[in-house]
Amino acid sequence: MAQGGPDAGLGVYLPLVLIFVLALAFATLSVLLGPLLGPSRFNRAKFSAYECGIEPSPQPLVGAGRMPVAYYVTAMLFILFDIEMVFLFPYAVSADALGLWGVAAATLFIATFFIADAYVWRRGGLDWN
Amino acid sequence: MTPTALFLAQAGADATVSTGEAISFWVLAPIAVAGALGMIFARNAVHSALWLVLTMLSLGMLYLIQQAPFLGFTQIIVYTGAIMMLFLFVLMMVGRESSDSVVEVLRGQRLAAAILGIGVAGVLAGALTRALADVTPAPPLDPWTPEGGAAGGLGRLIFSDYLFPFELTSALLITAAMGAMVLAFTDRHGKTGKRSQRELVEARFRGEYERPSPKPGPGVFATSNSVATPALLPDGSVAPESLSELIESTSAAKLSGERKQVAGDTPQPDAHSLTGSEEQSEERENS
Amino acid sequence: MNVFLAQQADRIELPAIDYAAILPMLIILGAACIGVLFEAFLPKHQRWPGQVVLTLLAIAAAGVALGAYVGGSPAEGTTTLSGTLSIDRPALFLWGTLLALALGAVLLIADRSIEPGGAFVAQAGIAPGTVQDRAQVGSTGMQTEVFPLALFALGGMMAFCSANDLLTMFIALEVLSLPLYLMCGLARRRRLLSQEAAVKYFLLGAFASAFFLYGLALLYGYAGSVKLADIANATAGTDRSDTLLFAGLGLLMVGLLFKGSVGPFHTWTPDVYQGAPTPVTAFMAACTKVAAFGGMLRVLTVAFESTSWEWRGVLWGVAIVSMLIGAVLGLTQTDVKRMIAYSSIAHAGFLLIGTMALTEDGLSGTLFYLLAYGFTTLAAFGVISLVRDSTGEATHLSAWAGLAKRSPLLAAVFTFLLLALAGIPLTSGFVGKFVVFSAALSDGMAPLVVIALVFSAVAAFFYLRVVVLMYFSEPAADGPTVSVPGAFTTAAITLGVAVTLLLGVLPAFALDWAGAGGFAIS
Repeated sequence: MAQGGPDAGLGVYLPLVLIFVLALAFATLSVLLGPLLGPSRFNRAKFSAYECGIEPSPQPLVGAGRMPVAYYVTAMLFILFDIEMVFLFPYAVSADALGLWGVAAATLFIATFFIADAYVWRRGGLDWN
Repeated sequence: MTPTALFLAQAGADATVSTGEAISFWVLAPIAVAGALGMIFARNAVHSALWLVLTMLSLGMLYLIQQAPFLGFTQIIVYTGAIMMLFLFVLMMVGRESSDSVVEVLRGQRLAAAILGIGVAGVLAGALTRALADVTPAPPLDPWTPEGGAAGGLGRLIFSDYLFPFELTSALLITAAMGAMVLAFTDRHGKTGKRSQRELVEARFRGEYERPSPKPGPGVFATSNSVATPALLPDGSVAPESLSELIESTSAAKLSGERKQVAGDTPQPDAHSLTGSEEQSEERENS
Repeated sequence: MNVFLAQQADRIELPAIDYAAILPMLIILGAACIGVLFEAFLPKHQRWPGQVVLTLLAIAAAGVALGAYVGGSPAEGTTTLSGTLSIDRPALFLWGTLLALALGAVLLIADRSIEPGGAFVAQAGIAPGTVQDRAQVGSTGMQTEVFPLALFALGGMMAFCSANDLLTMFIALEVLSLPLYLMCGLARRRRLLSQEAAVKYFLLGAFASAFFLYGLALLYGYAGSVKLADIANATAGTDRSDTLLFAGLGLLMVGLLFKGSVGPFHTWTPDVYQGAPTPVTAFMAACTKVAAFGGMLRVLTVAFESTSWEWRGVLWGVAIVSMLIGAVLGLTQTDVKRMIAYSSIAHAGFLLIGTMALTEDGLSGTLFYLLAYGFTTLAAFGVISLVRDSTGEATHLSAWAGLAKRSPLLAAVFTFLLLALAGIPLTSGFVGKFVVFSAALSDGMAPLVVIALVFSAVAAFFYLRVVVLMYFSEPAADGPTVSVPGAFTTAAITLGVAVTLLLGVLPAFALDWAGAGGFAIS
């Protein structure tokens, strides 16, 4: 991304923007196309709950659709990996200047981070029930 | 937001701006503004958060265009990734359908918020005008030096001068993981906890439950595919196994009516209604 | 592309690491990691003994490493890891204090004799008041994660005391805070109160961290560096914006004063001290205060000494407010733990007086005060955990009426500790106040010392009120019982009381250590 160096034109970022716009357009289009093109014929069976299960009862106004707090572990793990990635990104771009020493330092960081993962894994935080 | 965009555009006209930058700006800035407006006006909190994601993504792209690749990627990875994710998680935990209370908890809160908001807007506009009028544009930074603020320079700094704080950060990550586990995770597979799916299956086949398979579903003649509708046997009678005790006890009144309908004891509905009993009666006539 | 390759060619060298100097901290952090692995891989029944042995061994080993290093360490101190850590005499003294206090706190945490299973809940993830919660009341398990968390907090405190730049300091601040937030919410009894304390501490602590970070950013804008020495150099120049400097310093100090529970930034203290499990309160009260004031001493002395005329007036005000709040609101408390919390706010005001002095005497006096106060308050919370009724600890003051008739020994020990907190001669509290106040006097802060003496007298009143209550009231018929402590709690209380007495009678050796040298400036 920075291969152009400081004085190169900013045109290098144009493809990036184009992709962004394309992605946005694709997402919007796919969402809009469904209801526009699909046939909309409804009957009672189509409106009822899918396949099996008790027919949905009206949800209370406050606190409807709440997620159990157990998912917090998943959210937290995602964030930990996210943060780890942010730290490894600068390492990756300057890896050859850092040499073996850099590898050792990054390994130490990842190893300590894996201690946390080992804990979560052994305690069943990764089980999906 | 719109005046800001105008100011930026004027600045762009004065300094040397490549076509690429100008195009990217005019594409991204309206999207960012639209996201911000959408965030404010969306009725649903989850939609607000998603609009905010759009704004942050556009800002991340704008940073990239400003030759701050690390800041741009961090914006996308950390803000749109991690922080918005936590935002959404909190919204989901509160309940995605809960709406704002219109009662003011703090007296004069709206007035104070309005005044402060206008104040912040004023400060921003002032700073921006000053930046556009008095400050000479800085030359582009070299991202490979620490001063350039890009990933390459940062990598050097993190692994030389700030090695210790960097490694210390992993202690924070461990603490965070432990905290999440300790506070939010309960060991459900302990002695008193619930059985896992696998244990349940094994227990079923060992005969600890009535039958290994699920109870029969409503079947082809059903008027509804709810479990509350009993299944019918080939002779048209209700399959007793398909009656859930739980449902029996909760909505017996509703069910008894429905069962009568299934058994054909009630008056037939008119020909245009989309209930199964119509086909059922036809079939009975054919046979 | 060519620019890129040319610049990539120069290799980054490994920063010099003085392993001997930082060994104590590495042992503590390493042991914390091993503790997490214990949690992951040991079966449930082996976790408690494993963690206790590991934690105590780690603290002892760190103490030995520290002792071995101190003998041969350079008197002017040394910096290591590219100058992010400064291992000088004050840092070594603070490390020693922290390790000794943490030893006592870990003993209190590990105790299972007073309450079956200890003071910590078996499964914190179970919501309070549910069927599962009622089922786990009888279990003797506990969340043994408390031990590695305590070690992480201790490691963070050690890093905080020796951090030589603001960035390292901020990360160390978070490393010491996060485990404490967690540990506050793990009480076995009165779980809602405990969780409320954790939430309050976390929210307010996050605010304080944000203040610290904002101040850091402004100071970076001012000096172009986060290193304390560079900031000191920048303040010597005149062409930079003073607004950035003082706004940055102010915000930074808010973060630090919050951690030290000083003055108007104390609001979390009473609720958190009351709600947290008592061993955690002891750990927090003793060790966090040491770390916070250690950090404050270093920041003010190394980075902001030359601007002291500008900021000292503000800190005067903060110290007075802190002593006022602590002494006056302490009078109105009806809960022992809250009372000690307000006492700690008043003590923070006294400590701030020594911190402001920025002289050699001020430094050594504050360090001594921290040592003395830490042990006294540790033992005090140890004693509080012994007075119990059917619902857990009986912390309401009315329950302490006539306690001397039920347990003369406990009443005597607690009286001694309260006298030390009040600063009565022959206790460490008296010597601590004496050295801090005399350092402040010789630095020209006579009016402040007079105010401090007045507030000491006011504060002494509420300590004596408890003494009178214990000795001259009739015990209630359904009053609390005094548990007979097991070996761990006995050891912790004995340690605290012995040090309080020793420092009161023979303070000279500790004062010598505290005054062995100043901060390394580099």
